[in-house]
Amino acid sequence: MVDWLSLAVPLAYLGVLIGSLATFSSLYRKRKAQKAASLEAWFPAHLQRDIYFSLMHLDPSSQSEKKTPAVPESVLKASLLRRATEDIRRVMTLRSQKQALSMLLQRGSVGDDLWQRFLRAEKEMEDEVRDVVAEANAYVPGWGQVIFQSANEMLNNDLYRVRVAEHQEKIKEEREWWDKKKSSIQEGFMKELNEEEKEKKEGSTQVPATPAKGGESVPVAVAAASVQGSDDDAVLVEADPSVNSPGSPSGGGKKKKGKGKK
Amino acid sequence: MASEIDLFNEYPLHMDPSSKAISLLPSSSQTATQTAAIAAELQELNALHRSLISLDPPNIPPPPLPVNPKRSAQITKLRDSGNAAYRKSNYAEAIRLYTYAIDMALSRPGWEPVTLAREELAGLYGNRAQAHVGMQAWPEGLCDAKASVDSKPVGNVKAWWRLAKCLAEMSRYAEAKTFLLKGIEIEGRVSDGGKELVQLLEDVEAALQRMG
Repeated sequence: MVDWLSLAVPLAYLGVLIGSLATFSSLYRKRKAQKAASLEAWFPAHLQRDIYFSLMHLDPSSQSEKKTPAVPESVLKASLLRRATEDIRRVMTLRSQKQALSMLLQRGSVGDDLWQRFLRAEKEMEDEVRDVVAEANAYVPGWGQVIFQSANEMLNNDLYRVRVAEHQEKIKEEREWWDKKKSSIQEGFMKELNEEEKEKKEGSTQVPATPAKGGESVPVAVAAASVQGSDDDAVLVEADPSVNSPGSPSGGGKKKKGKGKK
Repeated sequence: MASEIDLFNEYPLHMDPSSKAISLLPSSSQTATQTAAIAAELQELNALHRSLISLDPPNIPPPPLPVNPKRSAQITKLRDSGNAAYRKSNYAEAIRLYTYAIDMALSRPGWEPVTLAREELAGLYGNRAQAHVGMQAWPEGLCDAKASVDSKPVGNVKAWWRLAKCLAEMSRYAEAKTFLLKGIEIEGRVSDGGKELVQLLEDVEAALQRMG
């Protein structure tokens, strides 16, 4: 004869234990699932995919006018190709990130939820790729095998063309820079030429190279002062008058040119 | 999780009945940046659609290989006539022809292999750079040579030389030296082109010394 009364206590104990464990477990799991669901997506919204599905659902009846025809298949095919291109980009990103991320995870540098997000993105991309292949095969049998090849080339071609375009855009900039530089070189060159001619004309053998010499003569005292400030500035400012009046063999003109040479 | 693949954001799209061009209907649910992104994407889509329509049925891009030989033949023809003009020192005409060839090579449909486009454009940009060098148009030559080297760094010793030459002619010796060292590293010193690179490097270094 079983003594129910004395068994009631251990049974109740067991019941409470199992009940509380079960409650804890279910609550814990629910919370974990919620947390996983609230994790941020790895990639931003898949624009090409959204457009593809929007086109699929763009049926004529939903429009106010009845005359809008259904979206032709070629548009859907183009949209699917765009979608495949974006998929390739994402799969490449995931692949390049995977190794670094797993290393960081092993070292404990990144949290577990980042890894969870990554795994989820990987699984989503797998589904996405499978879906694109299935859709492509539905349009043309056998297209599923080559659509990602085509998409890959399209992606690489795009990247390459952007780079080439960048190089070509620089042409204008380089040309402007060079024109400026060339004219400044020519100016300097012309000045030297002028000066040599003048020296021949005047028959003077001394080369007025030192700016300090300018201080000796009274008419160019102002110019000499500015030379002390900055040689380059003085050259730029005084270049014009000296070029405009090459015939005046004044001492001032000569000295200015001397500075230019320096 | 299985239903997640079927979720998507629906956009208010509109198709022009005659041209089949897709556009976005104005709506307040998107921000300005989103609208711009969608519009840009739709533009790409319409361009792709136009190039798909020009194909034979079933209007899907063929596998990357084999390539349609027609375009390649045209490009080769343009390049050859450009080369002929260059040999006659008619640089402006050569540049014009090379530019046509480059435009044609650039407009290759995207699904054709990128390696082919790179190979072709590396040669064309290299030739055009040479023609610019002939006209002493250093900045244009520099940019073309850079594009050529970027398209095909290995086995493109002439483009490396032209790149450095243009820089040296514009007295940008430090930059020229950097590119020459890179070129020599890739091409090696022993080949004919490599020797020319080394020669130019010596000149550039001498010029650097002179400048102090």
